[in-house]
Amino acid sequence: MPKKEQQHEILLEVKGVTKRFPGIVACDEINLEIRKGEIYALLGENGAGKSTLASMIFGLYQPDEGQIFIRGEEVQIDSPNEAVALDIGMVHQHFKLISNYSVTENIILGDEPKKRALGIFPYVDIKSAEAHIENLSQDYGLEVDPRAIISDLGVSTQQRVEILKMLYRDAELLIFDEPTAMLTPQEIESLLKVIKNLRDQGKTIIFITHKLDEVMEVCDRCAILVRGKLVDVSKIEDTNPREMAAKMVGRDIDFSAKRPAKTVGETVLEVQNLRVEDGTGFPRVNDVSFDVHAGEIFAVAGVSGSGQTELADAVAGLIKAKGGKVKLRGQDLAKLNVRKRSESGIAYIPEDRQSVGLILDFPLDQNLALKSYYQAPYCKTSLLKPQAFSEHANELIDGFDIRCARGAKTTVREMSGGNQQKAIVGREIDQDADLLIFVQPTRGLDIGAIMAIRERILDERDKGKAVLLISLELDEVMDLADTIGVMYAGQMLKVAPASELSTNKVGEYMMGVTDDE
Amino acid sequence: MSILDVNYAAILVDGLSFALPLLIIAIGGIYSERSGVVNLALEGLLGFGAFVGALFVASTIGLFAVNSDLPMYLSFLFAALGGALFAVIHATLCIKFMANQVISGVVINILSVALTGFLTSTINANFFGAASERFTLQTSPRWDIPFLMEIPILGAAFTRVYPFMFIILLVAAFFWYLLYKTRFGLHVRAAGDNPHALDAAGINVARVRFWAVVISGALAGIGGMSFAYSISTDFSPAIYMGYGFLAIAALIFGNWKIVPTFAACLIFGLTRSAAFQLLPVFDASAAVIDLAMTAPFIVTLLLLALFGKKNRMPRALGEVYDKSKR
Repeated sequence: MPKKEQQHEILLEVKGVTKRFPGIVACDEINLEIRKGEIYALLGENGAGKSTLASMIFGLYQPDEGQIFIRGEEVQIDSPNEAVALDIGMVHQHFKLISNYSVTENIILGDEPKKRALGIFPYVDIKSAEAHIENLSQDYGLEVDPRAIISDLGVSTQQRVEILKMLYRDAELLIFDEPTAMLTPQEIESLLKVIKNLRDQGKTIIFITHKLDEVMEVCDRCAILVRGKLVDVSKIEDTNPREMAAKMVGRDIDFSAKRPAKTVGETVLEVQNLRVEDGTGFPRVNDVSFDVHAGEIFAVAGVSGSGQTELADAVAGLIKAKGGKVKLRGQDLAKLNVRKRSESGIAYIPEDRQSVGLILDFPLDQNLALKSYYQAPYCKTSLLKPQAFSEHANELIDGFDIRCARGAKTTVREMSGGNQQKAIVGREIDQDADLLIFVQPTRGLDIGAIMAIRERILDERDKGKAVLLISLELDEVMDLADTIGVMYAGQMLKVAPASELSTNKVGEYMMGVTDDE
Repeated sequence: MSILDVNYAAILVDGLSFALPLLIIAIGGIYSERSGVVNLALEGLLGFGAFVGALFVASTIGLFAVNSDLPMYLSFLFAALGGALFAVIHATLCIKFMANQVISGVVINILSVALTGFLTSTINANFFGAASERFTLQTSPRWDIPFLMEIPILGAAFTRVYPFMFIILLVAAFFWYLLYKTRFGLHVRAAGDNPHALDAAGINVARVRFWAVVISGALAGIGGMSFAYSISTDFSPAIYMGYGFLAIAALIFGNWKIVPTFAACLIFGLTRSAAFQLLPVFDASAAVIDLAMTAPFIVTLLLLALFGKKNRMPRALGEVYDKSKR
């Protein structure tokens, strides 16, 4: 890795910066020095204060206490405008793009080149901007067409538009807020290349993440935040993932949570010849059969888009099966709608927790009762009982360690992703259903939350529940499963006890390799 | 009367003289809505604009030469000012106080009807010495355009035209340019699609939206004044005929874009004038003529039902922009 040890010019210094939000100290007297030309990681769990810190550097929030220095001069950054004037740029986790505008229009927004037609009428000079952006895109190897419309572009291209936005404004300090959260492994690889490339061309980068492997791969130095406090700054070459993980969570991590199943009981879920089609009649799930027993974790492995999500949705009743049978404890579910299925004993943790699992603008206590609000004790003689909601919420908040600034009345949108997921898991487990369906339960979560949720899954299994786990993460499947089913192109290619399958073998099935080959 | 006696020229001119004011009001609506602020207040804004314009004419009647057209031209300026001022209420409620945009619009409409009615009567009684609920305007001159009027069939569109039609065409062209070619226009359209992105680009979303709403008021005022000259040659609460809502229908049908909205306005205008001119052919009674007045609205319903699905409204339309919510 090309290091520039000789260059110790400090580009950004943060001194004693504190930021408080109602009920929480997001950043607590943080001190940082970032050198010109380095990739500096801000590592921490969700809600550790990484994004808040970066937002203060970018002028989105103002620190309650402390100072920020750029190139040795104290600055007050009251708005993103001022940050940009100081050559700071930021790629947000959720892109800030105008969907019906072209790449160029998005990039120049706020800093438009002006010309005058006939010497009088001012207009925005799109043409020269397009040429300039084309050059920038080539110089940094970004491969973005300046004339494309944003809504036609994929996530990773949109992200590169955000990078071009910063380059167009000659930013020197580039902040990336969880840039890999929405990307596929290949896209992540190419993004990390772009980031290294930017560093090699003299840019300074703040890289916010909770993924250790990315830090190891691209970063020069790493600061670890825990609940708003800076706990460690170290050179990447002097540390290792295990050490970082321990500092990040504040305790040693046992990466292998594996606990063998005790006793496997009777059949809870029977899926027979299930077929699910998409709008065009193409089979997404094709002739899939398997059983899940009480006290068993049945994990479905497969690359993304192999039909796993559709399988789970069909069992839960969110989409209609085209053929086959789904039985719960022998009872055919075909005629039951989602609520009836839920009542007859299916708990469901959906893949998209924000749009399917929660109502983001509702308070936590109502979200925690979404499955049962219409029954006693939440609802009596058609009237809702607020007291029952908050009592129930408080139990789950304690029981599942859901961190929320204002308790039961916290708006779910304000909570971090990990705590949103804990809320859903808590709500669903609280149903005391016979079958629990987990779809990608740990996606996008930090290590602490991942461990907590995996523990919960194992606990439920040990209580004698049947668990259907769908995960794209092979490690997760291998760690948790008692039985593994591998899906490929809508078909259940292989079902076998986990003890009989190696990670490599499962990986091969996921790629469609069958036993005969 | 047979179908041959129908005044086809009148269909064209009357159609245009209705379509153009509708267009300028709709362009006002487009500014507001493309910036993300729902504007149901167009009806009230056009009425208040026309009220201010007519008040100017009524109160300066002695200051100009008897046959001068100058008061008429100036009245459009005052109507624009009046509409803009009234729109400040909508902008302030929606942007500064983050009020519900639909309710604000509806309230402004009600307020406008009541306020202009009251003020017209009061001002007439106390200052002009005659109790009346209307300000009388001079008849607008009407022009025949040399050469163009001699084109077969279409030439009819260039006979007996109102001067305001040219004012509107000029203003519309200017605001088309402003919306699609300039920095401000880029910001307006961005504010209605993703205000967060605009904010992140360092632009003050509230300011952009404020001016967009004020522009919508000014343009609605010009449209209202045109109706006052073309439909009734006076200002009275009768100006509240629902044309502000028709403009909203036109801009929705035009997909929040100026040129397609112009087409929608033409359809409405020509439908209306055709209904008027063709009715006598069928010996229609007065009640049927009243019914004919509803023709543009019936066409609106049909068009929206048929083409409504294809519409793509501004993504952040109606979204109160709160910086703290991300």
